[in-house]
Amino acid sequence: MSQRELDLERALADLGASLQFPPTPDLAATVTARVEESPARATTRPRSTGRLLRRPHDPSRMWWWPRRAGWRRLAVAGLAVVLLAAAVLIASPGTREAVARRLGLRGVGVRIGGPPPPTVTTTPGTRLDLGLGERVTLAGARRRVGFPILVPAAAGLDRPDAVFVDEAVPAGGRVDLVYRARTGLPASPFTDAGLLITEFRGQPTPEFLKKVTVMGVVQEVTVGGEPGYWFSGAPHFFTYRDARGDLREEQTRLAGNTLIWQRGDLTLRLEGELSKEEALRIAESMR
Amino acid sequence: MEGRPLDEQELVERAREGDARAYEALVRRYQDLAFRTAYVIAGGAADAEDAAQEGFVKAWYALPRFRAGAPFRPWLLAIVANEARNRRRSGRRQDDLALRVAEDRPSGDAAPSPEAAALAGEQRRLLLAAVGRLGEADRQVIACRYFLELSEAEMAAALGCRRGTVKSRLSRALSRLRAAMAEPGGGAGGQLPMTRLPGGDR
Repeated sequence: MSQRELDLERALADLGASLQFPPTPDLAATVTARVEESPARATTRPRSTGRLLRRPHDPSRMWWWPRRAGWRRLAVAGLAVVLLAAAVLIASPGTREAVARRLGLRGVGVRIGGPPPPTVTTTPGTRLDLGLGERVTLAGARRRVGFPILVPAAAGLDRPDAVFVDEAVPAGGRVDLVYRARTGLPASPFTDAGLLITEFRGQPTPEFLKKVTVMGVVQEVTVGGEPGYWFSGAPHFFTYRDARGDLREEQTRLAGNTLIWQRGDLTLRLEGELSKEEALRIAESMR
Repeated sequence: MEGRPLDEQELVERAREGDARAYEALVRRYQDLAFRTAYVIAGGAADAEDAAQEGFVKAWYALPRFRAGAPFRPWLLAIVANEARNRRRSGRRQDDLALRVAEDRPSGDAAPSPEAAALAGEQRRLLLAAVGRLGEADRQVIACRYFLELSEAEMAAALGCRRGTVKSRLSRALSRLRAAMAEPGGGAGGQLPMTRLPGGDR
């Protein structure tokens, strides 16, 4: 080997030693949570998302924990969301793992810990792009998506002020119901709206809510007998996955109090300046 | 309290039997390696994280088929790298190897003067830029060897090629890198700018 070759190799080794990779995320906690909560390791692991979707609720196992087979199919992608918040729950590794194990709904992936996203385009008080789809009527939305759209029966909320639909992201489509601020529904500094409800058919993959880094409080709740989570106490961030499946951190936005829950194979998200009880009351009333 | 940390083979054996704690220890041990390998292949931190996470989960399910006593690292890297390639193929943009050269990390024994450190930093940046201009296959083989310091078996696993072809692939990549360094704007006017780097005794 010539001196020149050796020099080049040395220089590359020197370069390698001085390179900074992006920080490694805490995979150990996430992976452990996923393997512990999955069905006992059998000969094969479930791969068919369709089967998972139709599997009836069995509280003894986290069937709704997202499994991500078939990523390459995700050109159609979903909307993944990173929920981030700061530090309370991540104080001890024990708590952190407990939370990582508990959290998650179909289409919702979770990571506890890690830095907030580098770019947050929206901050409280600014106008924001909520990442909504095309504005349609409620009837129009019902024709466009392949799932029954639920609307709160609670007083005055049966007719949303605006309805948006996105048929492609996530796969299967998504509907957003927007309500203007009004008495009892103060404007959210994050959305300008009194209430924002998002509905989509939860796919085990890709996650709609991809990761959660908790700063505020996350509480497990039950909505109509099905699992849900209430995020409060501190704003969290969430990031959409775009139509190509890329997680685009520039789409990150801040979000306020949020309830996320499951209803059959629908995953629902409700955001507003509400108390947990108010949010639960609205959620329970959805038909 | 455990007296000594379990070695890799014990951890693998326990994980094979379904011990998630043992597997967690393995993940902790190799998450840097897995994430960085995925990063080199997928070309983005978010995809690398997905690939590494999914790779570890798949490896857990595949562990019963893992041959006892075989080296764990290449086996794991093959799974993770495959996940990373799938993500890359899913059509993400090419923001490859957006790595940075650390400023504060002299590699020599003696602390260099500020001038020497700046010079070394500049030379590293030039070299990194030249690596970045290579084709995907060349870039990956160089990154696997020199940035991730993988063994031949691990490189073959990560790159999805036979072990016998790793050497020739690396050698071709180095030739092209040398040529790229000699191009206008590719280095110091045809002269290898790295010949005066401090250190080099690694």
